[in-house]
Amino acid sequence: MEPTDDGLLRRMIAGDEEAFALLYRRKHPAIYRFALRMTRNVAMAEDVTQEVFMALIRDAKRFDPTRGTLGGFLFGIARNHLRKRWELERRFTHLAEDADESGTLSSAEAPAASSNGSHGQTTAGHFEFTAIENTARLRQAISTLPENYREIVVLCELEEMSYEEAASALGCPVGTVRSRLHRARAILLEKLRGVPPVRRSPAVTQ
Amino acid sequence: MSRDEKMPMDCARFEEILHDLDRRGILDRALRESALAHAESCGRCARLLLEAESLDFGLRTLAAQDASLEAPPRVEAALLREFRRKKIATPFRTLSWRLAALGAAAAVILALGLLIYYKPWRGPIPQGNIARNPVVAQPQPGVAPNNSTNPVQASAVSGSQGGSENAEAATAPATDFVPLPYADRSATLEGGAVVRVVLSRQALASLGVPVVDVENGSPVAADLIVTEDGTPQAIRLVAQENTD
Repeated sequence: MEPTDDGLLRRMIAGDEEAFALLYRRKHPAIYRFALRMTRNVAMAEDVTQEVFMALIRDAKRFDPTRGTLGGFLFGIARNHLRKRWELERRFTHLAEDADESGTLSSAEAPAASSNGSHGQTTAGHFEFTAIENTARLRQAISTLPENYREIVVLCELEEMSYEEAASALGCPVGTVRSRLHRARAILLEKLRGVPPVRRSPAVTQ
Repeated sequence: MSRDEKMPMDCARFEEILHDLDRRGILDRALRESALAHAESCGRCARLLLEAESLDFGLRTLAAQDASLEAPPRVEAALLREFRRKKIATPFRTLSWRLAALGAAAAVILALGLLIYYKPWRGPIPQGNIARNPVVAQPQPGVAPNNSTNPVQASAVSGSQGGSENAEAATAPATDFVPLPYADRSATLEGGAVVRVVLSRQALASLGVPVVDVENGSPVAADLIVTEDGTPQAIRLVAQENTD
């Protein structure tokens, strides 16, 4: 039976290096992916991952299991680090759609992105993600979402967190997570349709 | 979602729950079926549903593609180094705290010992009188050399000015000279001048001499050994004649 996160954390606090290594191996991929998707910068994603676990080493007792999961706690730290970095480096606040600076991943360079070049836009004003659709355009669309929406898409859609877990990680109510995710998905669809993201007018009742 | 179930499904309601249709545990089954039924009868909502499903598919594909992404091993290596460093540093920090605590405890014990050594009061003082064996007490912060506000010196001055008045009250020494708490012991009895003063009981108490009935306004005569710089070094109480 695999040890629980809490069990590993307790052992880690007691000085068990193996427990820390296990915890790191278990938790770091999601943190790294989150940082990478938020920044599209490999070096920064590595730094953020390292900082998150450094914070855990320094002050693991700050984690309160009654307030959420360890994963949510670590995502919260990662998010704070990212925000601090964004404050310092404004260029990452609104990543340009065609950002292709040194060290920044373009869609084609994205680690697992295929690049067959076809788009999913089929009929005018209608988006369909077909089997031949590559993920590059979707990745690009996510990377150009405003930060608040991007993190919610990454957490709830790509990391498959529940609304509750995401709310714990982001420090906001579940209702906010839900409404932000809905809005983020609507923006994504608008981007993928190829029309500028405008606020949708109230739907016409049939 | 009972309130939602009762509401009729229309395009607005459909759009509201569209992005939760494929999310587990958010909508109840009846509401979901109602929304899907609506999409079957509404072309616009059917298209929205198709888009949302396409987006879900794309996001799942993206998540699957990135599932194997990990930080490079050097990050883990750096973290393990930090972990070991902290593990080594923590016992040292604990040890230094313990040493500091021991040092503080030793200092307190030493201070208490010195206090007891220099302040050996031996029980109650006879009522209405100054102790026959005045002893050295704690230094009083208000007693400073060459300070005009010093109660001893102030009284001494007044004593010298009104010496003729007080001379009647003060007669023979009642005790031997006893060094004052802050006195330089080597200079206590050497080279100092003996000055007879009249002190208030409060002033006497401030010198560390145990006095009962401090509020009593009657003055007390005493001899002080005063060094050249005017600092009282020792005190000797003078027996008072009862003038009544």
